[in-house]
Amino acid sequence: MTSAIEVQDLRKLYRTNTSQPVRALDGVSFQVPQGRIYGLLGPNGAGKSTLVKILSTITPLTSGRAQVMGFDVTGQPLASRQQLTVVLQQTATENLLTVRDNLLIYAYLHGVKSQEAQKRMQNIAEEFELGQLLRDTVQELSIGTKRRIQVAKIFMLDAPVIILDEATTGMDPLMKRRVMDRLRAEARKGRTILLTTQVLSEAEELCDTIMIIDRGRTMASGTLRELRTLSTHMFRVNLSFADTNGELVGRLEALNPIQLKVDGNAVEMVFHGEEASLLAKLADVSRDTPILQFEVRGPTLEEIFITLMKESR
Amino acid sequence: MSGIRAVFYRDYRQRMTNIGFVFWDLFVPLAYLVLFGLGFERMLGSSIGIEEQAFRYTAFLAPGVLGMVTFSVAMNTSWGFFMDKDSGIFYELLTYPITRAQLLIGKISFNVLLAIIGSGLVVALGHLALDAPIRWDLLPLTAIIVITATAGWFFLFSVFAIRFARMDAFNTVLSAAYILLMFFSSMFYPLSDLPVWFRVPAYINPMTWQVDLLRFSLLGVGSVTPLLLEGAALGLFAIICLTLAVRALNRAAD
Repeated sequence: MTSAIEVQDLRKLYRTNTSQPVRALDGVSFQVPQGRIYGLLGPNGAGKSTLVKILSTITPLTSGRAQVMGFDVTGQPLASRQQLTVVLQQTATENLLTVRDNLLIYAYLHGVKSQEAQKRMQNIAEEFELGQLLRDTVQELSIGTKRRIQVAKIFMLDAPVIILDEATTGMDPLMKRRVMDRLRAEARKGRTILLTTQVLSEAEELCDTIMIIDRGRTMASGTLRELRTLSTHMFRVNLSFADTNGELVGRLEALNPIQLKVDGNAVEMVFHGEEASLLAKLADVSRDTPILQFEVRGPTLEEIFITLMKESR
Repeated sequence: MSGIRAVFYRDYRQRMTNIGFVFWDLFVPLAYLVLFGLGFERMLGSSIGIEEQAFRYTAFLAPGVLGMVTFSVAMNTSWGFFMDKDSGIFYELLTYPITRAQLLIGKISFNVLLAIIGSGLVVALGHLALDAPIRWDLLPLTAIIVITATAGWFFLFSVFAIRFARMDAFNTVLSAAYILLMFFSSMFYPLSDLPVWFRVPAYINPMTWQVDLLRFSLLGVGSVTPLLLEGAALGLFAIICLTLAVRALNRAAD
């Protein structure tokens, strides 16, 4: 399968007023095959937005190579941009213009002809519930609506690669769901999607492949299943007791879980360690307080993420 | 729609949302010509002589007022980058499939039209109400000078608008530039009678080149060789500033 995005040993240094330059990206490499959804996860300052800016040709790379649909972002910036539609982290709308003008001008600036742009604008406005707002000036609208306009714009185009930098931030859950469904449909049609997000459940649900980065370096990458195998010594345990009291919670805390949540008589814990030793300890607990229900599962993406971040710091 | 046409349309839609701003661009130079020009004409009393021809002060000032039109339009257009930064659209614009030069040229194209209309109003007022002896045969040349100068100033101011994070810092630089470039030029007075320390910076000021060229195209005064040099310098100034502005856009997020 041909790569839609290819990044090799990418480095980015930002000069600062202090003597030490900031290393925003430090040898990141990955490939995104066409028609796949690729998630980029990391805490604030990990380098996700820098990577998006380099791929969108907003900022130059320091060394390494980045290509979009085979076009080099440094040597062929215009050809690279012709393959892209981008939603940046910052809310971006033409505030003085109407919603209608926002959608149309975006299409015109991406080379869509006037008649076709009008047609697409009507469809998108309907799909994203903007039809009643078309004549409204954007500066009078809420931040959530502005974000909706910003994201709706990208579906006016057919560019083969979509890049979304925390695009669903500030959206209501229903609209978020609609955008996610639409992204999945676009990927099925063959469009490639690169998204950065802090909402790990979103990445877990949407992405075919995930890369976790921190301080400009790749911490882990692969499918969710592959990431789970990286955390072979991590377990999520769901327990149910007849009664939970302070003493029981104290005993569970003494088992050193990474995470412990008590909700009524249900307890959810995440452990890092050997499975056999964990089971022995839980058997010990059940001698005094019988366990009614017991379930052991692999970790969620959030748990993998937290563990990797803890290990890297 | 081509990149330049699309940016032109965008700027047209934006500018039309604030007619007051457009009015300001078009009518302030007229007020300058009438109030400032007539005031000084009354004070100076006699006419101004250039190359053995006598002109009313208002006629002498008219090409300078055209310089003012290009300067104001360019300043207001470059200020638009701060509006784009405020709304967050600035960086998104840089991801669009248009070249940086297309973005800059498209942005100034609609505003060049405003500068042409503003200049037309100044010329009409100068001729009809103030008896300026306009060279109608050279009007196309006047238009070319207005277009080149508006674009050149806009590209120059864009470098600052793109690089500066703070609007107040940008406004300070522009205010200083406004004073220095206007007054260290041949806009308000002939340079020949001024001391050397004043003339040297004035002769390397693009505003002087522009006003001298406009004085030739509007009133027919000036010597060919210096004017050819000034014309070449003004064109070069616009090209260099465009190159610098493109570079600034390429490094905007750094």
